[in-house]
Amino acid sequence: MKKRNLYFILFFVAAMVPFVSHAQKFATKTGDIKFEASVPSFEEVAAENKNVSAILNANNGELAALALMNGFRFKVALMEEHFNESYAETAKYPKAVFKGKLEGFSLKALSEKPKQFTLTGELTLHGKTKKINDVAMVSVKGNTITIIGNFMVKPADFDIDVPKVVSKKIADEVQVAYTFLLEE
Amino acid sequence: MKNFLGLLFCLTVVFSVSAQDDLLAEIDSVSTQDYDTPAFKGLQIVTLQSTKIPAAKEFYFVVSHRFGSVKGGISEFFGMDMATTKIGGAYGINEWLSVSASRHTLLKVYETAVKYRLANQATGAPVTVIGYNTIDINTFLEKEDYPKIEFGDRLTYISQLLVSRKISDRLSLEMVPMYIHKNLYNPHVENDDQFSLGAGGRLKLTKRLSLNMEYVYNFDKPDFYQNPLSVGLDLETGGHIFQLLFTNSQAMTEGGYVTTAAGDWGKGDFFFGFNLYRVF
Repeated sequence: MKKRNLYFILFFVAAMVPFVSHAQKFATKTGDIKFEASVPSFEEVAAENKNVSAILNANNGELAALALMNGFRFKVALMEEHFNESYAETAKYPKAVFKGKLEGFSLKALSEKPKQFTLTGELTLHGKTKKINDVAMVSVKGNTITIIGNFMVKPADFDIDVPKVVSKKIADEVQVAYTFLLEE
Repeated sequence: MKNFLGLLFCLTVVFSVSAQDDLLAEIDSVSTQDYDTPAFKGLQIVTLQSTKIPAAKEFYFVVSHRFGSVKGGISEFFGMDMATTKIGGAYGINEWLSVSASRHTLLKVYETAVKYRLANQATGAPVTVIGYNTIDINTFLEKEDYPKIEFGDRLTYISQLLVSRKISDRLSLEMVPMYIHKNLYNPHVENDDQFSLGAGGRLKLTKRLSLNMEYVYNFDKPDFYQNPLSVGLDLETGGHIFQLLFTNSQAMTEGGYVTTAAGDWGKGDFFFGFNLYRVF
């Protein structure tokens, strides 16, 4: 009986493997994330990361993205240094990770015209995780799926403290915009 | 059979979970090059140059003050009555080369300098090595007082090698061997060529505050001068860096700082000052 069970399990595992690996995946290593924390009439506080990795499972709409914190480029090098050293603490927390899902995603439903999907998931950075619930625009052209969207986060949600002397110059809510061109 | 169903259920859960993690694992192979914060926050430790140089196309506006000796007490408002100023700028030509120029109230000196990186700890070298060469032009010497003076007589050359190592996230240390040549000097009291060795460091107290110290031993020091010993605090406030300091050498050019330290810590004879950087 025990041996039979083992066979069953082996058979089951063998059956699962092609099923799991058969998932149709679209990915990029050059996704783009911009964030903007400027306050009007003060110096621009904004950065862009053009080397974001992202992957979409087209079978179920699962989406994962990963950005290295030291990949964010600011206009002023010193600001970038401050960002890495005192705000994001990049040496301690090198990555920002998103794990989520495009609700009701179906590859067949896509066209060149962007279609709206609800994106839910969890964003982890600076050692803290926060739920994200927003809208993403998804379109397909040839072999490329494009996902565009933006959401707001608060530095305080991720335990990133903004000292009083600069609190007027950094927005309470940071706008994050992303563009992923995913290829199969 | 119940056991088997249970196992099946567990396996399904494990699989669906691992499938989701796999998605992230597939892109998580990017090598995370550890981010390395620079050894020093300011361009200077206190008065000596640090191994930090401006980034490419980055402009630093620099204003520094050294007040008079605190020994004067309340009648001179602890030195505030006699401020000397350095005003200037530094510009990064590329990632490893920068130029700077400044004007000093003390002896009406114009200072020009190049600073260039020879080795970088952030890219794998055991230490960061920076070359720093300065020419000081003393415009205080009047033609009326020195009728035979030529332009060359006003010049002082300083060559330094700045060698730093970031020991930990909080502690950075630096050694500075240097050579100073004065075209105009008084042979009765000093040498025209002076060799000295400086040492300094920075200890981060909090994310935005650090304690800095430096000391220079001058091998050719005349008896009546001291070796400079300075202590300061780095305060980072967004686009500014503010360094508050106490020193026994009032001059801000390396030539003056190292060879003519007139204050004496032991006698309560030292100077308050600050360096302020604004980055554009």
